[in-house]
Amino acid sequence: MALPKRQTDIGPPKYDQFLPPIIKKNYGKWKYHEELSGGTMVHVAESGDKLYTVRVASPRILSTETIREICDLSEKYCDGYLRFTTRNNVEFLVSDQSKVDPLVAELKQKKYLVGGIGDRVSNIVHTQGWVHCHSACTDASGLVKAIMDDLHEYFTTKELPNKVRLAVACCVNMCGAVHCSDIAVVAVHRKVPTINHELVPKVCEIPTTVASCPTSAIRPNPKDKSVIINEEKCMYCGNCFTVCPPIDIHKPEEDGVAIVVGGKVGSLRTDPKFSKLAIPFFYNEPPRWPKVVAAIRNILETYEKNAMKHERVGEWIERIGWESFFKLTGIEFTFQHIDDFTFARDTFRTSAAFKY
Amino acid sequence: MSGKYKTPMLDELEKGPWPSFVTEIKKAAKKSSMADDELGQLEKSYKTKRGYWKHGGIVGVLGYGGGVIGRYSSLPEEFPGIAHFHTVRINQTSGFFYTAKALKEICDIWDKYGSGLTNMHGSTGDLVLLGTTTENLEAIFAEYSSRGWDLGGSGSAMRTPSCCVGPGRCEWSNIDTLDITYTLTQEFQDELHRPAFPYKFKIKTAGCAVDCVAAIARADMSIIGTWKGNIQIDQAEVKKYADKGMNIQAEIIDMCPTNCMAYDGKTLKINDVECNRCMHCIAKMTKALRSGKEKGATILIGSKAPIVVGSLLSWVIVPFIKADAPYTELKELIRKIIGWWDDTAKPRERIGEVIESEGMRPFLEAIGVPPMPQQVKEPRKDPFFFWSESDFK
Amino acid sequence: METAELQDKIFAYMEKMKGKKKLKEKDVIKALAEETSEAPDTVKKALRGMIDVGRLMYSYGGGASSVEIPSEEYLREKGLIK
Repeated sequence: MALPKRQTDIGPPKYDQFLPPIIKKNYGKWKYHEELSGGTMVHVAESGDKLYTVRVASPRILSTETIREICDLSEKYCDGYLRFTTRNNVEFLVSDQSKVDPLVAELKQKKYLVGGIGDRVSNIVHTQGWVHCHSACTDASGLVKAIMDDLHEYFTTKELPNKVRLAVACCVNMCGAVHCSDIAVVAVHRKVPTINHELVPKVCEIPTTVASCPTSAIRPNPKDKSVIINEEKCMYCGNCFTVCPPIDIHKPEEDGVAIVVGGKVGSLRTDPKFSKLAIPFFYNEPPRWPKVVAAIRNILETYEKNAMKHERVGEWIERIGWESFFKLTGIEFTFQHIDDFTFARDTFRTSAAFKY
Repeated sequence: MSGKYKTPMLDELEKGPWPSFVTEIKKAAKKSSMADDELGQLEKSYKTKRGYWKHGGIVGVLGYGGGVIGRYSSLPEEFPGIAHFHTVRINQTSGFFYTAKALKEICDIWDKYGSGLTNMHGSTGDLVLLGTTTENLEAIFAEYSSRGWDLGGSGSAMRTPSCCVGPGRCEWSNIDTLDITYTLTQEFQDELHRPAFPYKFKIKTAGCAVDCVAAIARADMSIIGTWKGNIQIDQAEVKKYADKGMNIQAEIIDMCPTNCMAYDGKTLKINDVECNRCMHCIAKMTKALRSGKEKGATILIGSKAPIVVGSLLSWVIVPFIKADAPYTELKELIRKIIGWWDDTAKPRERIGEVIESEGMRPFLEAIGVPPMPQQVKEPRKDPFFFWSESDFK
Repeated sequence: METAELQDKIFAYMEKMKGKKKLKEKDVIKALAEETSEAPDTVKKALRGMIDVGRLMYSYGGGASSVEIPSEEYLREKGLIK
């Protein structure tokens, strides 16, 4: 069968054709919203119109079969209108209040998790991992599944002092917002890469490869038309691997993950913050990474128990001090925690006032 | 088709309440041998603790330099179905709004030409189709583009802009995030599809400082809605919050970062001159408080993930800009910003890194923005500052 | 200069540089604007014309996008040769 005629540079379809009539009518004229449960909320417009949202968890990797099932549900309960959130949840946009409870009931019956709204743990923003990425040194989807199986009550029902945003990145490229999340997992390498000197001259540009190193650890090796890495200077970021794949950064038995905490992106109360190192390393333990799961629960529960209402993880830690964070969580403080890279001198303590 | 592989480790990840990606891959594998081989290779990764993917080469359809990410199994003989397993980025709708009809059509085409696996959505925002072969790319593009869908960005190019739900369903949005994102995406089609930049350039738009799209942390250009003028107070609604048990003193007044609020048990007062518009009080008392009436956006520049010398959050460049359709001022500003970066950056340098190495002054001068105290947390501490000839006039 | 002539010069430059350096679109425009004294925008347009019909192609590798002379495999896949 002949293919239809291609078009170029048309951009995405305009958003308005996907908006339910109630949104078109009240666009930009919303007055307030109320949370009705862990996974349902109502937005009330100045006109008095009410839009109900039912939010469910998604593993982000979706088969077309599941997308069709979600579509069928949206057709049955909300005229086919739905959206996805920036954290990859699915939202059904219901304008008929009488359909909310039946929708929730059918979702639960089909084993969907309704939740993620309000002061809870929402879906974990994550990356491709071993499923589909060349530079992954852990599997993001597996970690997410294991962590959220453990924390699912914080998604559906249990409340926290404020929302807690989790993220998982399968390497330090961090395709996601790991660097500004409340609690996040980032996969790290710990060994100097191995260079395939036969392939380097065929695949890589030497000046680009040398320039790719942030610590100037790479220099040319004219004899082999390859490069040499100064092992003392290498901090295993893997940027050289990105520009020159024959420099293999992967060491499956020594790769693993770190946990970082205290980041946020909103400006509420305090400025947006970067996540900081809490635990420098866990070995990859597929399929369920039990030590990582337990460590995250420990940090989350310590926050739940000690933070004041409306404090994000980072705000709580800044109030009590990092020394107290390590004490309360029982996490060991190591040399890896002390910065020796670009931001180092801003992080050394310059006051005699601190806690034990 | 499915069931070629035994997957005891992955099967463990079908247990438990959270929706399982393994179940999704298995669902796709019922219809697609590509998805089945994906499952087989992933089980191997779980055993050996390493990935088996190579990337590069193929980047798109005829005329485009982005939108397709070439992906190849490094074990093509063991897993022939994923010898090619390319990613196709479809430009998502503003705010990720869809109809069932449109999504089903997207699924039908994908089942015909690909693995049946998707990401809803990728980190940048695109609707991601995971896994197809090189020979199917032109057909996929013809099928989608003829139905109104275009490819997203990849490589050294403008990336697909994205935004929060904005005025579609949020009372806090100060700007039309959906329309800004749609308009900018249309404006920069060439920059999106034909990589001519030193590196990637991301634009994200959030309606307010709650920043549900993490614009301030992961966009080279962060457009964040804000306002001028007094926060609008509904005292009757304030009373209702108090009646329902909210401790207004502890939860609102004491948590205000600028101490600009007061509450005597009856009336809530805000000294708006001192307010820094952080959104805490508005977010916690959404029925009682609304932002000021003059709407606009703050433009921040430079955020990125840590590769290579550390993460950056975006820096305030333009404290307040009008952001009403047709966004002429905004578009002109973006062209100036991109132009300076394109002229100044070394290969693979993000704009935040260029500003760090060149200094803020040349950047501000190039885009015609004067120095303002809103751009810094504090002035410099050292006495080593540059003087230009123009400063002596 | 006629577009066709400019495009031939672009192609000759691409052949000369093949295997020496990965060229970004900007590198090509700069080199040819110097060589021919044409405006960079004119060169860009001519280059785009070549990419649109598959005489040149975009590629990606080493963390960056570049412009290349297409392989036979690419041309065959795009239906430009049999």
